[in-house]
Amino acid sequence: MTSTSFALFRLPSVLVLATALALTACGGPKTKYGDAGSVETVTNQFGSTDLQMLAEQMSQSMLSEAPVISSGNLPIVTVQEVKNKTSEYIDTRAITNRMRATLQKSRKVRFATDQAEMQKQIDEIQRQQSEYYDQNKSTEVGKMVGAGFRVSGEITSIVKEDKNIKDVYYQLFLSMTNIQTGIEEWSDTKEIRKTTEK
Amino acid sequence: MKAVTLVIALLAIALAAGCGTKKGFEKPGFAFGCPVGESKISSMEDLVKAKVAKEGSKSPDVEIEEIRCTTTGDLMKIDVVVHNDESDVERLQYKFRWMDAEGMRAADEESWKPLLLYGNSRQTVTTIAPNAKARDFKFIFMGQE
Repeated sequence: MTSTSFALFRLPSVLVLATALALTACGGPKTKYGDAGSVETVTNQFGSTDLQMLAEQMSQSMLSEAPVISSGNLPIVTVQEVKNKTSEYIDTRAITNRMRATLQKSRKVRFATDQAEMQKQIDEIQRQQSEYYDQNKSTEVGKMVGAGFRVSGEITSIVKEDKNIKDVYYQLFLSMTNIQTGIEEWSDTKEIRKTTEK
Repeated sequence: MKAVTLVIALLAIALAAGCGTKKGFEKPGFAFGCPVGESKISSMEDLVKAKVAKEGSKSPDVEIEEIRCTTTGDLMKIDVVVHNDESDVERLQYKFRWMDAEGMRAADEESWKPLLLYGNSRQTVTTIAPNAKARDFKFIFMGQE
């Protein structure tokens, strides 16, 4: 086979390959990185903007309005469950985790191990009690510090819908209670309304 | 006659004290309670120009009327008054950007927050600094896409 006939023989496969590549480039899904902090309005279900906004506003409210925090006493707080009373799935822990991170960075609050993390904490302390560890450098049992305050709350929603419009209203309620006295030291509600025209 | 003179004298003292206090309230490097550094800020308009930035291509038809700052504990607290003087509803998004005393970022970039302004209405956006290092700020806004 001469070099010319070899080139002619290979030509159709090259064309097929080029066409496939062109089709992939034009018709395939396009992925881009976006701004994680942008306002998201894809649907009116609970979304990233709602989570960010509620967590930020609640953290700001705690920093400015909760006397035990604004006084600079560096209170120790534990975060309890925030009940999801809406009709959709919302990971309320994602809201409180974001709040925790913001408040911790403010250096105005310290957080004690909460119920969700307790088993991991116990497991690690017990692991350090084993024969494999130098007991002089291991964590001692009975040295954990309890929180002085607990944060709990709930998120509720009201959904109204007809053939033209869907209206969703969310309300997040949080409170901080003195564990010793039972006195509620701070509480706040934050609301979001989203309307979709069909 | 004596009483009239006394009243006039008292009024003059009160007026002088009032004028004097306005300047006396401001610490050097601050205007309307907000940190301005070396910038020459002599009016609210100057302060708004110094503290507000528009981003994005879609510019909402709103005016930032006032910015006032105070402190709660060691955290800066800010009020920004946004005015929509048109009859149409305006939808914008905003965030604050925080700097420390050296002009470096004092906190992570905030997420954008949506804001709805009815026609011919004002809304006060309030915020508190994320930490005590945050000594200066910018109010950033743009239209909602």
